[in-house]
Amino acid sequence: MTEAQFYSVDYKQRLMAAEKIHEIFSKLIEQIKEGKNPTLVFPKRTLSNTIYDAKRKLLLLGSELQRRRFLDVNEAKKFMQTLLMAKIIYESLINNEYPTIRDLYYRGKHSIIYRDLSGRRREENTWDEQKESDAVIRDIEVLTGLLREDMLILSKEKGKLVGKIRLRSGGDIIDASKMGHGAYALEPTPDLIEILDVDADFVLVVEKDAVFQQLHRYRFWEKYRALLITSAGQPDRATRRFVRRLNEEFRLPVYILTDADPYGWYIYSVFKIGSITLSYESEKLATPKARFLGVSMSDIFGEYDDSGKLVRPPYLGVKERKNYIIKATPQDIKRAKELLNYKWFQTKKWKKEILTFLHKKVKLEIEALASKSIRFLADKYIVEKIQSGWID
Amino acid sequence: MPRRKEVFRSLSAAEFFYRNREIAGFSNPSRALYQTVRELVENALDACDSHEILPSIYIRIKEEDPEKSHYRVTVSDNGIGIPPQYVPYAFGRVLFGSKYRLRQTRGMFGLGAKMAILYGQLTTGKPVEIETSPLGSRYKYYFKILVDIKKNEPIIVDQRIRRLKRKSHGTTVSVVIEGDWARAKNKVFEYIKRTAIAAPYANITFVPPEGDRVITYTRTITKMPIPPKEVKPHPHGVDMEMLKMLIASIEANTLKEFLVEAFQGVGEISAEKFLREAGFNPNMSPKLLTNEGIKTLMIKLKNYKGFKPPRADALSPLGEEIIEAGLRSVLEPEFVTAVTRKPSAYSGHPFIVEVGIAYGGKIKPKDEPQLYRFANKIPLLYDEKADVSWKIVSSEIDWKSYNVDFPAPLVVLVHICSTKVPYKGVGKESIADVPEIEREIKNAIREAARKLRLYLSRKKREEEAKRKVLTFLKYIPEVAESLALLSKPPVSIANGDGNYLSTDDIKKMLLNLVIAKLERADIKLDFNLEDFDIRIE
Repeated sequence: MTEAQFYSVDYKQRLMAAEKIHEIFSKLIEQIKEGKNPTLVFPKRTLSNTIYDAKRKLLLLGSELQRRRFLDVNEAKKFMQTLLMAKIIYESLINNEYPTIRDLYYRGKHSIIYRDLSGRRREENTWDEQKESDAVIRDIEVLTGLLREDMLILSKEKGKLVGKIRLRSGGDIIDASKMGHGAYALEPTPDLIEILDVDADFVLVVEKDAVFQQLHRYRFWEKYRALLITSAGQPDRATRRFVRRLNEEFRLPVYILTDADPYGWYIYSVFKIGSITLSYESEKLATPKARFLGVSMSDIFGEYDDSGKLVRPPYLGVKERKNYIIKATPQDIKRAKELLNYKWFQTKKWKKEILTFLHKKVKLEIEALASKSIRFLADKYIVEKIQSGWID
Repeated sequence: MPRRKEVFRSLSAAEFFYRNREIAGFSNPSRALYQTVRELVENALDACDSHEILPSIYIRIKEEDPEKSHYRVTVSDNGIGIPPQYVPYAFGRVLFGSKYRLRQTRGMFGLGAKMAILYGQLTTGKPVEIETSPLGSRYKYYFKILVDIKKNEPIIVDQRIRRLKRKSHGTTVSVVIEGDWARAKNKVFEYIKRTAIAAPYANITFVPPEGDRVITYTRTITKMPIPPKEVKPHPHGVDMEMLKMLIASIEANTLKEFLVEAFQGVGEISAEKFLREAGFNPNMSPKLLTNEGIKTLMIKLKNYKGFKPPRADALSPLGEEIIEAGLRSVLEPEFVTAVTRKPSAYSGHPFIVEVGIAYGGKIKPKDEPQLYRFANKIPLLYDEKADVSWKIVSSEIDWKSYNVDFPAPLVVLVHICSTKVPYKGVGKESIADVPEIEREIKNAIREAARKLRLYLSRKKREEEAKRKVLTFLKYIPEVAESLALLSKPPVSIANGDGNYLSTDDIKKMLLNLVIAKLERADIKLDFNLEDFDIRIE
């Protein structure tokens, strides 16, 4: 592999992203020439403008627009920050760099020194905290329709993959079934990965890294022809995008395995429909067909029908249950109540799950099922749940 | 210029005043020094004002004998001067001026100055020295006079005449008194400063004992207050003694004739009507009235509603223009306004209230309004808290509603002119709560304060606009630099070619946008981006 080839995929992406940024921000020059107040128009990134599209099963940005004007006292600073950030990103693209969001924060952090009306010397930073620079990165994503990955901005990724899949990344070919006890660490620019071939029937995403490792050593992926992925907690963008690609490009069913608590369930919903803070990315990152494998409340307490008859027995005996379940914290309860308000959790099954949680006030970690025995988890629980028992 | 002779009448009161020196403000060496300056300066200004001569006043206090704390106070004016034949009596005998014709003046025809002369003579034994050239005279007359206190007669110690090369007029009075400069200092400086505020049409020079700190207030306006006219008293304002004096001095055969002659606004018909209603025979001779009859007449005069309100011709307000000029030149504020109210009257005495407001600039912010009180153009320095104006300024005006937030650099000037200023107590340093006057002061302050509010709200708007502008200005360099790069296509950056806008071009364009925005808001600011010295580090 030569160096030129190594960068060729990146190069095309760089040019495309740079052209787009140039196009959007050049409009401001036209506005200024016409004596108009330079204005950036883009969808509002607020909770009130985050809409759940029930048909497409996606969290999307609504139609409310935000106008960021330079000659507006309340917006001038944000306007300056947006342009500053756009400039730095533009420069990085042209200079063949791969900045992280932290790099961008430091690069744009300047002190503006000026004299106030009484002639006193004043100092103001372009931004003080990374929170501010991260916010304008999101604004630029919405403004340009380019995700940060598209702009070759790196973020710390923690997603891992094993299974029979071969990829080309940065010019190298990787076989994810030959990673030893390790795993392939998903890269921050998942769209630059070329998937060469896949030999698997489904994707299993595990919230917990520890459980992922246990299943990997048990060679679960080989035994059941699965691609095994962990998000190691809240899923990052690259992991979500990669899962989406597997589902979209290779029609692989996706099953999500999380803790039995509101946080686990929300992780599932992030994979499936998108996150509230990054709803503009759902179109690219969400996997609407993803299924919730477990762990559910009914896995712990059994499933009853409306007449109170036991339809499916619990996976844990009374004694096991006593050992494994954990008392829910007040935060868990609060989070569960929030989930109840989310439209996408308002299905019969999910309501029953959340209400059971609120009633029992207990939660369970996946590790509990693994510690019962890895065979129980791999060969019984997961297999049975895939056959029947997942929730949409 | 018409030459007007002042008519003097004598009154044996030298001893009376000697015994009552506390009342006249000569209670101790510090107060006496202040009072001496004050009396001489007021006479000096009156000598100019009343004849519309633009005053040039020179004041000097010199330490004459440090061991005995003797100070020489000298005040010169360019006023009408005093005819030499009157000088010994004008300064060497306690006199009353042309009474019972009323007009507003600062002092009472030199009565106060005579107190200063007496005080000086009693504490130092030194005679008063006078140098005067009457208007139109070619001579300067020089006198050294002592007062024979028991006889109330002048003793001329020295007297000289000098022919002048050129016509000149004016008077210099110089007395030596026992004083306490260290204690009087602040009040004297403050007094002269306030005098200058009320007389911006005067040149005032003050040489204090230190000598190295000469204070000058230069004339900033040539307009002078219109001198007051003499008017007859109003029947409502009469008192027993005054009425007796009038009856004694006016030649009238009948009561009706007497009233018409003695009072303003009383004609034959109204005199007749009044006398009949009051139960007097209009044709009786006034000289035949008994004490009892005079008393009844006085009470009836005071309470009769049929007379015209008193005339204000006897008053000489400063006028808005002069007040504004005075406040502006002495205090150097950023804003000044003044209000002269229409004449009004209380108990038969006409009065006019004037108010000036000065704000900001070199005025230091204080927690309360800074009140400058004047009565008949005289600054009142003592007993401020007892004055009706203080009550109004400090607690009855809601300054917040006029956009004034304390601490604030606010000076309020209140001038009351009247033929009879209703002083509180004998010290004549504070004005009593007369409802008519109180109402006028309040209205005048409100009227002036409304103008201040207008100014302050406009200023606030402008400051907000400036602050806004600064918000834009400080971000211009960063925005311009970003835009300069973003507006170059990626390929041209890589190749370094193409002709695109520079950071400076964009800076200028953005600056023009800001200026245009200001113009739309009707605000004009002169600025350069360089003035704000915006740097990025």
